[in-house]
Amino acid sequence: MSERVTFWYGCNVLRHGDILHACLDVLRALDFEPMPAGGPDYCCGTGKDANQTAAGGMASRTVGRFNAREARVVAWCPSCHSHMHDFMGHESERRFAMTYFVELLHARREELARLFVHRVPMRVMLHQHVGFNDLVPVNRMVPELLSLIPGVEVRSAGYVAPGYMCASFNAVPKALDDIHAGTVRAARNAGAEAVVTTFHQCYRELVGLDAAGAVPVYNYMHLVARAMGLEYEDEYKAWKRAGEGATELIGAARIAQVGVQFYERAILPELKKRPRLP
Amino acid sequence: MIGQRLKEFEAREVERILGACTQCGQCYEACPMVRYSKAPAAKGEAVVPGVLAVLRGEPGTAEALGWIAVCTRSGVCVPACPEKVDPRMMMRLARMTALGGRGAPKQIEPKEDRDYYDRVRAFARLQLTDDELKEWTR
Repeated sequence: MSERVTFWYGCNVLRHGDILHACLDVLRALDFEPMPAGGPDYCCGTGKDANQTAAGGMASRTVGRFNAREARVVAWCPSCHSHMHDFMGHESERRFAMTYFVELLHARREELARLFVHRVPMRVMLHQHVGFNDLVPVNRMVPELLSLIPGVEVRSAGYVAPGYMCASFNAVPKALDDIHAGTVRAARNAGAEAVVTTFHQCYRELVGLDAAGAVPVYNYMHLVARAMGLEYEDEYKAWKRAGEGATELIGAARIAQVGVQFYERAILPELKKRPRLP
Repeated sequence: MIGQRLKEFEAREVERILGACTQCGQCYEACPMVRYSKAPAAKGEAVVPGVLAVLRGEPGTAEALGWIAVCTRSGVCVPACPEKVDPRMMMRLARMTALGGRGAPKQIEPKEDRDYYDRVRAFARLQLTDDELKEWTR
């Protein structure tokens, strides 16, 4: 009998519908019954350091909703997972088990390997951060998962970025520039054809390197999906590569749904943004 | 009261940290982010007292606030601490306090993104179907 799990994907991965769909397909293939939950209504509150009243309210609401589901929570986002671990459970009593998505895949890796029926010939370097690994050793687990994919060769250059994921460096832009440069240099030194990220927050930042022609960039779930024969289009990468041309790719009808002015002020600048490389 | 239990937990953690930290500065010296601080210091023992002052709701030094502003939760400080204080928690609570989130006066400016949640909703609308939006986000 399949296990019902809450798939708590977080907020910002909503930029990457292909990753979300692939995660859900993988969970179903491993005989789980995932109930997706995310977006602002399930916010963990980690971004509310300047307002702990708001953070407490968000923690109380989200923990309460998960308690009501009476199912294990499988978290995708490292920020949500660590914030639940460090803070949210102290605002409201948590009555559900938590598993990080990578942990779950790693625990079921023998079954997962049997689903990898397509070759993905690629030499890759995993983009790593020093943080988060004391909670979940993703820097060990993700290469082990990638190595199960026929054709994938994981190469290491020994470069490990500070922090726990790239998006938190928006407040320290010089450090993000250094991470971009260090990642490209390390990939070249390792003889890697592509950089693979564990977290969507890193993918969102590093895909700018792909758009700038420095190095191809993927999230590890892109490779998992390919190996399983899942064919979801990475629209975010296409939009990012297109830059100004993203407007045409997205199309007037979809842009109208989010509002032209909002699109031009808050979406398009992100898609046009490119990393500063030396 | 909303957030009361969270604030009580944070207050207990602040008291624990203030009681356990010996201000040796090894957390600072292990940190890979100090070179990005606006006011880096040669010795961690010169910086950590300012972080503890922030935790007490007092004004922090430029060196302490500079370090707090660039903390990105690397966690390298955790095994570096000989007293098992959990300096990552210390820095997170100091950041919350310096941003004005725990009731004390604001000492560093938050990097506000007024479009954060609306941008998430917009990308969701661009990427998901109406049924998925209804079932996955509410």
